[in-house]
Amino acid sequence: MNRKMLSMKIGTALVGLALALAPLTPAAAARLGNDTVLNAASGVTINVQALDKTMSDGKTVRFWVWCAGGGGSGGMGGGGCYPSGPTLELGVGQQLNVSLSVMMAPQENAPYNGHTIHWHGLDVAQSEDGVPETGASVLGDNYSFSVDSRYVGSHMYHCHVHTVKHLEMGMYAPLVVKAVDSAGNFTNVINSGGPTYDYEWNLMYSSVDPAYHTAVGDSTVFADYNPKYFLINGNEGRSSTAPAETVTAAVGKKVAIRLFGVQSVNTTFQIKNASGSSQSFTVHNKDGYKLPSTQTLTSLNLSPGQTADVMVTLPTTSGSWYPQVTFKNLRNGGAYSGGTVYTRLNF
Amino acid sequence: MTIALALARTSARRLFVALLCLPLFLISAVSQAASYTLYIKAGTHTINGAGGTTLKVWGFTDNAGTGPMVPGPLLESQEGETVMVTVYNQHTLAHNFVVRGVTTDTASIPAGSSKTYSFTTPKAGTYLVSDTLNNNINREMGLHGALVVRAAGGVNQAWTNGPSFDLERVWIVTDMDKPRWNDIAGNGGSVSTGTYKPNFFMMNGLGGHDAMHDPNTVLQDSPGKVGLVRIVNAGQFDQSLHFHANHFRVIDDDGLRLSNPEYGDTINVQAGTTAMVLFPLRSGIYPMHVHSAQLETANGVYLNGVATLLVGQ
Repeated sequence: MNRKMLSMKIGTALVGLALALAPLTPAAAARLGNDTVLNAASGVTINVQALDKTMSDGKTVRFWVWCAGGGGSGGMGGGGCYPSGPTLELGVGQQLNVSLSVMMAPQENAPYNGHTIHWHGLDVAQSEDGVPETGASVLGDNYSFSVDSRYVGSHMYHCHVHTVKHLEMGMYAPLVVKAVDSAGNFTNVINSGGPTYDYEWNLMYSSVDPAYHTAVGDSTVFADYNPKYFLINGNEGRSSTAPAETVTAAVGKKVAIRLFGVQSVNTTFQIKNASGSSQSFTVHNKDGYKLPSTQTLTSLNLSPGQTADVMVTLPTTSGSWYPQVTFKNLRNGGAYSGGTVYTRLNF
Repeated sequence: MTIALALARTSARRLFVALLCLPLFLISAVSQAASYTLYIKAGTHTINGAGGTTLKVWGFTDNAGTGPMVPGPLLESQEGETVMVTVYNQHTLAHNFVVRGVTTDTASIPAGSSKTYSFTTPKAGTYLVSDTLNNNINREMGLHGALVVRAAGGVNQAWTNGPSFDLERVWIVTDMDKPRWNDIAGNGGSVSTGTYKPNFFMMNGLGGHDAMHDPNTVLQDSPGKVGLVRIVNAGQFDQSLHFHANHFRVIDDDGLRLSNPEYGDTINVQAGTTAMVLFPLRSGIYPMHVHSAQLETANGVYLNGVATLLVGQ
């Protein structure tokens, strides 16, 4: 029996789901989650589409989302046309090659027309920074740069036009810098010189004030933020029985969980087991930079704009954990009503 | 209403040398004294640019002949100095003057009275100055500022033998709720403090329209120079400040010196706390802005909130 067959057999036996485990090799980790993943060095074209999403209360919110290569499906998969997609990965030393097209893009009137991409966390030159106020084109652009090994970890990319609205609208997604081997293939280390992982999983947090989705221009609506929906990877997950995302990994394996905080309020991340006990995890990177020393915690705060890379080792007996994020207001840290978003990690 | 580092002093420093003879050691200690006279006044504060407004405020000033400053005059000293601050309350309400973590006298200064505070600065760092009375109303109305304590001798180190820097800035960030707090309190009314929906956000009293051009706020020098940024959140909302262009190192987290600093591009400075970061400038012009929805705005108008520039040229 080869490794792939063995993995599939274990996966099927453990969870009885249609999810098959990818082959585990030293240089590539299995991916958890539903995100569309693209190599940013491969020549990606990003455009923007409107997406009407029905929320848990039956109301519809219009998002503007990134789509790769024309997108078209309007849902998960395809070109990654959903809030928090598509994920871009970039190898150390490799040349990012991304074009932004705003043809047919939903947009505001001047002075907030058009879109850009800001490579949040990558310290790129002013010409690649995607900030209209410092010279970036809002009518489409080609982005090209490379980063060194300090940046191995989690970052994000988002529109930087009228960000009080455009960031809210859904034009954000994970950007992960990967270490590479001598052949240029991505390797599964959490940071340069850091430990390897068997699985990786991206969790992007966002918050939604529906009033911000309909207001435009210099509206006083943007003076007061009242989030009604809280998302991980573009989905509400209002209870552990209706999680935003459910994934399955093999017991005893190491999982890298990448946390991307693009929401506009404070948050706390925790992992709880089926009986509600908090599980510890180890933080390796913050804001895409290796920590001077790792931190083993049971809760981790991410404020707006922060990222973190954490790792857990799964138990050797099967079960489920519930990684979850509680969204909190900026005044006193009180949790929002319905402000905890659950995910589920089966093993 | 900007912070001028040298402007705040109201009297010249007196330098004196104290020689302390201990049984086994002869220690030569150099001590200075800084003194300030502050006045608490009611007045107005204007945020320029689109979305800007004029707010009713209460503030400290070091000029008996002018209105309040928001934030108050920067107080400066060096490690181990004695600082004397005399505060004249020229407002109709009771106020106080507290340097967080340094002074302990929170008793009020009655309207029309004055009080002199004398304290020795404990260690180099950045401290919130505020009026702590009246359930946050007095601080929100503008009675806040900062004390900067530099390394002995005024050398460009965050503290004696601490990390070096080439230039420094003090960023006092805050928020104000004009309709529900400033308009009410400024007219003598009673603020319902359970609700706070600030619609103005400032750096050193400025909206982004001005803060992106203010030489005491913009971090500007040659590429490669290292800026020490002292951040004071005098407001009631936590502020998550995102730096473009480079990662900073956090060297002081609310008074806690970090010997093994973390890198970051976004720092959450909680309401009422401080932080110090070292930021190496790189060639070009880049923004620094808060990453939270309305905090980037002046009453909803984009980029007239908490935003400034990082300029390497």
